[in-house]
Amino acid sequence: MITVGIDLGTQKVKAVVLKDDAVVSRGQAFSGFDPAKAAEEAVNEALKDADLKISDVVYFVATGSAMEMAPYAKGTVSMMGADAKAGVYLFPKARTIIDVGAEEARAVKCDEKALMVDFIVNERCAAGAGAFIEAMARALEVKLEEMGPLSLKAERASPINASCVIFGESDVVSLIHRQESKPEIARAVFDAMADRISSMVQRLGVNPDVVLIGGVAKDVGFVASLKRKLGVDVLIPDFPDYAGALGAALTAATRAKEGKK
Amino acid sequence: MKSEKTEKKYTPEISTKEIEELRNSIKTASQKIMAENIERMKKTDPNRPEAMKYFDEIANLFGKRPTEILAEKEKGKKVIGYMCLFAPTELILAADAIPVRVNSGWYDASKVGDRVVPVEVCPVIRSTIGAEMIGLSPFLELSDALISVLTCDGMTKLSEILSDYKTVWGMNIPRVKDSAHSLRFWNDEIKLMKAQIEEFTGNKITRKSLKEAIEQAQKATKAFRRLQDLRKGQPVIMGRDAMLVNQAYLWDDKVRWTEKTEVLCDELEKRAQRKDWVCSPETPRVLVTGTPMFWPDNWKLPTLVEEANPKGIIVADELCSGEKILYDPVGVDEWTMDDMLNAIGERYLMASTCPCFTSSDGNEDRINWLLNKVKEWNVQGVIYYVVRGCMLYAMEYNRIKKALDKINIPMYYLDTEYTREDVGQMKTRVEAFLEMLTARADI
Repeated sequence: MITVGIDLGTQKVKAVVLKDDAVVSRGQAFSGFDPAKAAEEAVNEALKDADLKISDVVYFVATGSAMEMAPYAKGTVSMMGADAKAGVYLFPKARTIIDVGAEEARAVKCDEKALMVDFIVNERCAAGAGAFIEAMARALEVKLEEMGPLSLKAERASPINASCVIFGESDVVSLIHRQESKPEIARAVFDAMADRISSMVQRLGVNPDVVLIGGVAKDVGFVASLKRKLGVDVLIPDFPDYAGALGAALTAATRAKEGKK
Repeated sequence: MKSEKTEKKYTPEISTKEIEELRNSIKTASQKIMAENIERMKKTDPNRPEAMKYFDEIANLFGKRPTEILAEKEKGKKVIGYMCLFAPTELILAADAIPVRVNSGWYDASKVGDRVVPVEVCPVIRSTIGAEMIGLSPFLELSDALISVLTCDGMTKLSEILSDYKTVWGMNIPRVKDSAHSLRFWNDEIKLMKAQIEEFTGNKITRKSLKEAIEQAQKATKAFRRLQDLRKGQPVIMGRDAMLVNQAYLWDDKVRWTEKTEVLCDELEKRAQRKDWVCSPETPRVLVTGTPMFWPDNWKLPTLVEEANPKGIIVADELCSGEKILYDPVGVDEWTMDDMLNAIGERYLMASTCPCFTSSDGNEDRINWLLNKVKEWNVQGVIYYVVRGCMLYAMEYNRIKKALDKINIPMYYLDTEYTREDVGQMKTRVEAFLEMLTARADI
């Protein structure tokens, strides 16, 4: 049975093709101004990769901030619900799933059946999400991908304000004026983000195993800071940015089995 | 009455032209929003109770009710506005004056209030200031004097700021509930307010008039409780409809409101007998607690819950803009003046679950109310609603969360502002929460 999950995120649309509960292919496209079109592209890319056609797919489920605009979808699942599904599928002992995307960070508490029992979302500010790293990379005049490796070279941490992207940026500028080195500033950026996210997760309760997913999970600098702040090991799957789409594809499989139309 | 041209201590001078422009544009927008809210309520329940027609009409804040109040004023009646539920409305009624609650639920008015206080201040306060500055609220404008009970920090300073425009009487409320001298102190405040109201209206509050006012309020409480009891079983009325009925009491004529609510309850009882449910009995049953939500703009959360996918139904609340309004009756032993006044004092202080209080065991009363509601009303999930700047509710969250965790009832903390822009984000969260409740119910 073929099912597809589509995650219509703020920056990218991701699609995952599932065959009998195993991932067979993935696809992605930039969301841009037309998330529906981007979703078509992502789905087509993934299907092409697996040598499949739209008509081969039994069930599509969408998730993500633009889920209502999804083509093909027979239904939707909340981003938190998808996180829980994917987290426990990837790591059966996962009970806390942290998802850090471009514009939002959230944490989901779930049970052994992959049902979410509680969740928390960062409060309307991108300072705890990927966009923060992007803005800070700009201020430091380095590429986004360089931020992580750079921060690992830091010898110590300098504190900055991560309550807001704008204030954070002005803090970074004053660190530059104080002639702090770039690695130290990069580390400060990740520490500040990890600080915010870890206190959010602590409000929910840190129940191992802790899994980190979302695009920002690919950033080694952030991962190092988060592990330090949380004080527990953090599991990261391959393709963490596709976890939402995977959760949607798994939901699609469940619904198809239940025979939901 | 205060003279027109007193110096304004807080608020800036705004030109008459700007005031008019702001008032007209916000009023026009508000009329649209009120109509739209009601349309959406009708759409959610195409088979909406007949008796809601009356409340839809009364819900128009620029409609029939202010016109009626104006007519009574012209006949010499005084109107006394109030902000917190602690204002003893029985005394106002006993002095043949009209009580009306004047907190603002207009989002756009909060932007006007931003000229006086910083945005960190709770938007209910900022919006009420803004509404006064541009004369937006008919009920606030019709008020000859205001009772401001000094509960939270926002309310305390709001009373000073509104003094730029109106006669405001502050009522000093003790913050520790379970002490004998708190109650004595508060009862003295009630007696002082009685004298104040008598002097202002020129009407003596007699034993007879106070007894009548208390009895009328008791009748209203009876109707009110009947409605909430009907929400205990299978769903016969959408939460938003019941919430509108509850809130309408704040500005409606009390006798007529009581009659119309009884009529609504008769209709709902018949529906219950026919098993004519307003939505699937499987719909997750939600309780809302936290910052008060004022009609018309601040209808965001109830709308989201009851129009969500999957949808929920609000069966109960713990809001001072909702079920706290009339739930508790004034209990009188002997109908002497002293006893009646003490009974009023006790009802307002002791029955309150407002987080502005503490006691030897914190705000245990609020937890007990919530636990009882969850049990009796079969609540499956609680939404803890806080507007930014509402410190007391925000700070009590963890304690409530722990109490509900113990009985395995999920609660979600939803924070927002007086704005329409965050509806998308709120929707994501509300739907995830309802999805979770639905999944739990399936097991």
